[in-house]
Amino acid sequence: MSESDVIDYEIENNEAKMGIISTKNLSKIYNPDTIPVHALRNVNLDFEVGEFTTVKGPSGSGKTTLLNMIGGLDKPTEGSVEIDGIQITGMKESKLIDFRLQNIGFVFQSYNLIPVFTAYENVSFIMLLQKRPKKEMEMRAKELLEAVGLKDKYHSRPKELSGGEQQRVAVARALASQPKFILADEPTANLDTKSAMNLLDMMEKMNREENVTFIFSSHDQRVIDRAKRVITMVDGAIESDETR
Amino acid sequence: MLLNISWRNVWRHPARSGVLLCAIIAGLWAGIVVSAWTNGLIDQRIKRVIEEELTHLQIHHPDYLVEREPTMVVDQTEAIGNLLSSDERVTGYTFRTKSDGIIQSPLTSSGVQIIGVDPDREREVTTFHENLISGEYLDADVRNPVILGRALLEKLNVEVGNRVVLSFQDIDNNFTSGSFNIVGMYYTGQPALDEFKIYVRAADLSGLMSPEQIYHEIAVMLEDVAESPGLAAELNQQFSHIKAETWTELSPELRYMTDAGSSSSFYVMVVIMFALAFGILNTMLMSIFERMRELGMLMAIGMGRSKVFIMIMTESVMLTITGAVLGMLLAYGTVEIFSETGFDLTSVGGDSMREFGFDAIVYPKIAGEEYIMIAILVIATALLAAIYPAIKALRLNPGEVVRE
Ligand SMILES: Nc1ncnc2c1ncn2[C@@H]1O[C@H](COP(=O)(O)OP(=O)(O)OP(=O)(O)O)[C@@H](O)[C@H]1O
Ligand SMILES: [Mg+2]
Repeated sequence: MSESDVIDYEIENNEAKMGIISTKNLSKIYNPDTIPVHALRNVNLDFEVGEFTTVKGPSGSGKTTLLNMIGGLDKPTEGSVEIDGIQITGMKESKLIDFRLQNIGFVFQSYNLIPVFTAYENVSFIMLLQKRPKKEMEMRAKELLEAVGLKDKYHSRPKELSGGEQQRVAVARALASQPKFILADEPTANLDTKSAMNLLDMMEKMNREENVTFIFSSHDQRVIDRAKRVITMVDGAIESDETR
Repeated sequence: MLLNISWRNVWRHPARSGVLLCAIIAGLWAGIVVSAWTNGLIDQRIKRVIEEELTHLQIHHPDYLVEREPTMVVDQTEAIGNLLSSDERVTGYTFRTKSDGIIQSPLTSSGVQIIGVDPDREREVTTFHENLISGEYLDADVRNPVILGRALLEKLNVEVGNRVVLSFQDIDNNFTSGSFNIVGMYYTGQPALDEFKIYVRAADLSGLMSPEQIYHEIAVMLEDVAESPGLAAELNQQFSHIKAETWTELSPELRYMTDAGSSSSFYVMVVIMFALAFGILNTMLMSIFERMRELGMLMAIGMGRSKVFIMIMTESVMLTITGAVLGMLLAYGTVEIFSETGFDLTSVGGDSMREFGFDAIVYPKIAGEEYIMIAILVIATALLAAIYPAIKALRLNPGEVVRE
């Protein structure tokens, strides 16, 4: 079985650019009534299928806030987010949870995995939430774990895995739900350089070979250097947006 | 898998869950054993009162129990007797002549209730004769035999073999008295009986009260207690000038005791459940607080709130049911063992128990439905106690929680 079957990504077209995420005049003000914090200021961004993009910027510049808005984990004070033509801003909470489940893959900095589940169970769990057929679930979980290089760790619990291995499981889980894109907020922040580079290698390979869309944030220049597009944030606003 | 995740979450902190589990086991075990013991105690007490003297049903003159006049005798005893003899529900019946009177020894005197029985019939219908601790029963070949309680013998300072004088009213309201020979001594342990009730032959008592044989009471034992209200109603309809009453009507305090017993068992269980609810609440809250990030992550990746809610409820119910099953099994075993051997409290307070008419050796018993009721109570408690922690979890804002 070839790897493209494995990842089974819903992309047919590499050449024509397909918009997937669009933010319009996105602003976020925390504590508007007491000490207002402008976490995002009028952010207008468009993302396309197959991007390998990093959001950088100093601490407090609004990276997490931006990713949370795109991922539908937080509500903007003003503006809106559209994913694949569907406006998620203002969506009902229960609908939004389901939308996330079906459309967005998440990788967090930490607390990514269910500690009582094995690597294999962590990956299948999300497909279970999606009510996928059992057969498909089993096959896909195994294949994804193999693809992220954890063929011999199916039955390890998170505690028995290194930080890098845990993040690989998290990526495998994010991919398992066949999302439209993957959001990763500082996925390498808790990893040593070698594990960070390995994780990046793997993500890059998936992006290159399967056209998986990754949007991640980072502080780490070596990680930032590997992105195809670098969005720089300062004080809640986009300072620069370069594609290499 | 949702069940699976809940079950594994339960055992995340074996020590913490273990402590709660032990509390549930101990609580249920104690609650059930105490209930079973109370049930046994009360049942034995009722059985004893019924079998010793009360019987399932009694027939009197309609006003006898209130006014206790010697003239208030049961009419048509023969017809009633014939009817009872031919009724299949009846296992036995006996006639009694009764009077309130005074017993006199050379030294002192005392007020007593004199119960005249037909020794042969009485022996077949009730177990009173088993309380005899020395001497003979009323079928002794002696003129005017009488049996006294041990406490009364001591009070009067007499012994088996001595004579006493009984004085009482006859049916013409004249005082009459007769000399009786103490042939036996009984002991129930209850001062109210031992000091107060004395037993003679119905024929002797009746002979002193009236020219004809009179009876004040017919006591009837049935095959099945549940038949007593029906038979009482039939008798009341068929015969005028009598009043047939069941044991619950004759002795409302016994009835009350059954009710009090079951409601006290119920309150014991409620108190135990209340304590357990706090234990569960505490454990579940701790478990939620330390998993805030994980729960936020689950909601972020798309686990619906209803699933999170169900997961937490399931955790609570699973933990509680595990404890409940173990506690109930343990209690079942304990009750089974003691229902064979009896639970003997003689050494710690048997005498005082006897004074109140309870057996010192109790055979605990508990009905299957009570286990079911307790199981339902436990599950309801587990659910109620988990609602608050589960709601706490639902209030999480995943966006905030996943922020480092
Ligand atoms: N819940 C909140 N309440 C108030 N202020 C908040 C809240 N969340 C974030 N902020 C503020 O919003 C601003 C942007 O925060 P954000 O977490 O997006 O920054 P970041 O770029 O991800 O920082 P870091 O690199 O440290 O992760 C910060 O000033 C932060 O203090
Ligand atoms: Mg951040």
